[in-house]
Amino acid sequence: MNIVDATDRTEKLDEGEAPSLLTIILDTNPHAWALLTESLSLSKAVANLLVFINAHIAINHANRIAVIASHAERAEWLFPALARSQKDSHANGVHGDGEDMEMQDGEAADSDGPSLPRDDANKYRPFAYIEHVLLSNLRRLMESTTADALSSTPATMIAGALTLALTYISKQTQALPSATTSAQFNYSDATAVAGGNEMSGDGAKSQASMGLSSRILILSVSGDLASQYIPIMNSIFACQRLTIPIDILKLAGDTVFLQQAADATGGIYMALDNNSRAGFLQYLMFAYLADQAARDHLIMPGEGEGVDFRAACFCHRRIVDIGFVCSICLSIFCEPLQDNLCLTCGSHLSMGNYGQKPVVVPKRKKKKRRALADGGADTPASDRGTPAP
Amino acid sequence: MSSTASLRALDYLEGLPGTTFTKLYQQPSTALAIFRRMLPHLAKTLVMAMLYMPSPLLASDLDAWVKPDPISLSARDKSLSVLQRLRMLEELEGGRRFQLAGSFARSLRLALTGGGEHRSFGVPCESVDEKQVGVEFLDAFARRQWEAILYYVVGSANAGLGGEVDISAGTKQLLQKGEFVSVRGRTAHITQAGFTFLLQEVNAQIWTLLIVYLEVSSDLQMDPIHVLSFLFTLGSLELGISYSTTNLTPTQHQMLEDLSDFGLVYRRASDTTRYYPTRLATTLTSDAPALPNSLTSTTTTDGDSAGGNNERGYIIVETNYRLYAYTSSPLPISILSLFCTLQTRYPNLITAKITKSSIQSAIALGISSAQIITYLTVHAHPILRQNPSAPVLPPTVVDQIRLWQIEGERMTSWQGYLIKDVGDREAYEKAVAYAEALGVLRKDFRNKGWFFVSRMDQMGSYFRNLAVKRKAQQQQGIEGGKVEKK
Repeated sequence: MNIVDATDRTEKLDEGEAPSLLTIILDTNPHAWALLTESLSLSKAVANLLVFINAHIAINHANRIAVIASHAERAEWLFPALARSQKDSHANGVHGDGEDMEMQDGEAADSDGPSLPRDDANKYRPFAYIEHVLLSNLRRLMESTTADALSSTPATMIAGALTLALTYISKQTQALPSATTSAQFNYSDATAVAGGNEMSGDGAKSQASMGLSSRILILSVSGDLASQYIPIMNSIFACQRLTIPIDILKLAGDTVFLQQAADATGGIYMALDNNSRAGFLQYLMFAYLADQAARDHLIMPGEGEGVDFRAACFCHRRIVDIGFVCSICLSIFCEPLQDNLCLTCGSHLSMGNYGQKPVVVPKRKKKKRRALADGGADTPASDRGTPAP
Repeated sequence: MSSTASLRALDYLEGLPGTTFTKLYQQPSTALAIFRRMLPHLAKTLVMAMLYMPSPLLASDLDAWVKPDPISLSARDKSLSVLQRLRMLEELEGGRRFQLAGSFARSLRLALTGGGEHRSFGVPCESVDEKQVGVEFLDAFARRQWEAILYYVVGSANAGLGGEVDISAGTKQLLQKGEFVSVRGRTAHITQAGFTFLLQEVNAQIWTLLIVYLEVSSDLQMDPIHVLSFLFTLGSLELGISYSTTNLTPTQHQMLEDLSDFGLVYRRASDTTRYYPTRLATTLTSDAPALPNSLTSTTTTDGDSAGGNNERGYIIVETNYRLYAYTSSPLPISILSLFCTLQTRYPNLITAKITKSSIQSAIALGISSAQIITYLTVHAHPILRQNPSAPVLPPTVVDQIRLWQIEGERMTSWQGYLIKDVGDREAYEKAVAYAEALGVLRKDFRNKGWFFVSRMDQMGSYFRNLAVKRKAQQQQGIEGGKVEKK
């Protein structure tokens, strides 16, 4: 009789894991890769990355992948490919006319996409397709890069790439409620948003109702990103709200904000040096392949390390330890403002006594009698000032 | 992953000898398919982490990697258990190091990177078919063939429901071999296994039938390795593309004949060198719906917007044991009639009632309450799934169906192993906890110090490891004693 009790009623059908979408942002900044040719060239890194992508697809047939190149002066899709007709006019992937980009999915590959790879019985077709599209797009990107464009900016377009990734993720999440949780998704749209508001504390629940669990992996080689501080931080907070972890694999350079990104969104941060860079693929396969479902069971690397929480100022993009903060909009400035107007919100700020030397207040003599009276009352009255030491 | 189907396939695979696995894993497509289809999620992550590892993984490293809470630990034990049952993982030095089986790792790497000369992902036809075969046509073909099989099984339950497509004699024989139907005289009668078969999802049904096919094929001098690897190859093919039969073995040529009877592949004539896999085949190694907008959805109402993306659900169960099914197709209706009392039939809807007598007559036919509940849950209308935290079916109905079954039965039997004389209390508790984590514990008899498990191999290695450890400890103790004497 004890088989029939309330506890045994749970549904055991949905054992399959939710599909996961992995968006990879590959920093293709030619300046930075040129410095790395000794230990890990871009072509080698891409070859390793392709194996990693295949491994991600292999884990679950419904898993999805998107790859964005964060190039010197723009961010561009590597996979899925942009539809042919719009490619040239909108090379940077940002649309002014409000038209939607047409993405080609791995499944729906047909003749008007980039020319299909030669049929090869030795390779799983989805793998071959991804490889072909990614490589041909990357090649086109490199060919279209001019020397002028490179000399003007040594940095990389991480902020743009992050924004692209977020738009893609949100589109996929809405367009593709997974088969197992599809019905829930339609109805619980409002709760999914509400769950997101509560940040990571309620992460598991909102993921379940989203159906598609997404994450972002940034392969970063460039150093200084301070010039893009504000858009990067905004993307990070958007990810935090949507409980999308941002994983960072740092191949070179040193950026403060990416570490903060991983920390704020619960992602993994690792930095490779000259020796460990050779094991790039093993790092990817061991630490970065696990999706949210698997991370519940595993101790992920990089937890508990000190994070550099410094910020960049809004006026000169300098990284500051101590700065000035607008009390209205919380903008950060590295030096006192000239006419006391906040550069961001325009509020009039008063610096008060900033810069003046503190006036030393001479010690006042205590009056013994009053102190005694207080002591007798057991609880000192709060309206009296703090007694001087 | 539909767990029942994969469990059956897992059981079948497990029964194969180790050499078969080595041969099976020669094919990258097979290695990839088994990896994708059979493994629990954590196991996949473990395999991928170990795939490019230069040296074996230390068990202590694995312990440090997995979180120490009980859920994660049991997930780890389950993953390791499945990996070892599928001969993917090898234990070295008495369980202190783990290593992926050589042939499996090699093939999986090859599958990920491409290359080699195995040609296991299907050889597409060089030439273009002069008469292109569209995806819709393939879906229609697959559905017609597969429903014909289902109609045959159902038709043997209530006469007069037979489908319009006749199934081949070979398929009929196969259904008999699998004991889905039993032929008495000239008419076929459905069996308990047949009901189980009917109430499954399509994907699980295919696997159930294919496993019977595998079992039968070895009697027909077909090499099970060729059969299996072809099935897994089919799972990695792409819908709507024609493939060439040129590199298939004779066994696989023979299989094509049978598979086109099942609706897994389509061939225009039996002597062409061109075949198209249908959706039934290409979803073999995934859990996507095998028959999109299948039999039930063609009849759902258009205004039913919620049904749009969940094609399977059409049944609404109310707490007052009334059941509404949005269908007009005879197949689901006759399945429902197995355990419900049908009441009214409208153009797109039937109403029925779950009663004690209807359930018990179903149980008398050999259907179990769990099967009924699973069927109702799988095909539940999306409206029942609205609230993700609440159970899909009304709990009172579910419990009552179970109670009705329990009224008739007082005993369950399992095959398994009774383990006695484990040692002291602590060793016993540890062994029981281990068995529970593996998911093989059936019952423990605490005061006698016995327990009963459904599977012995892993427990055996557990006890062996324990014995080795104890011996080592004893030896250390002796050596220590000697030192003291000196």
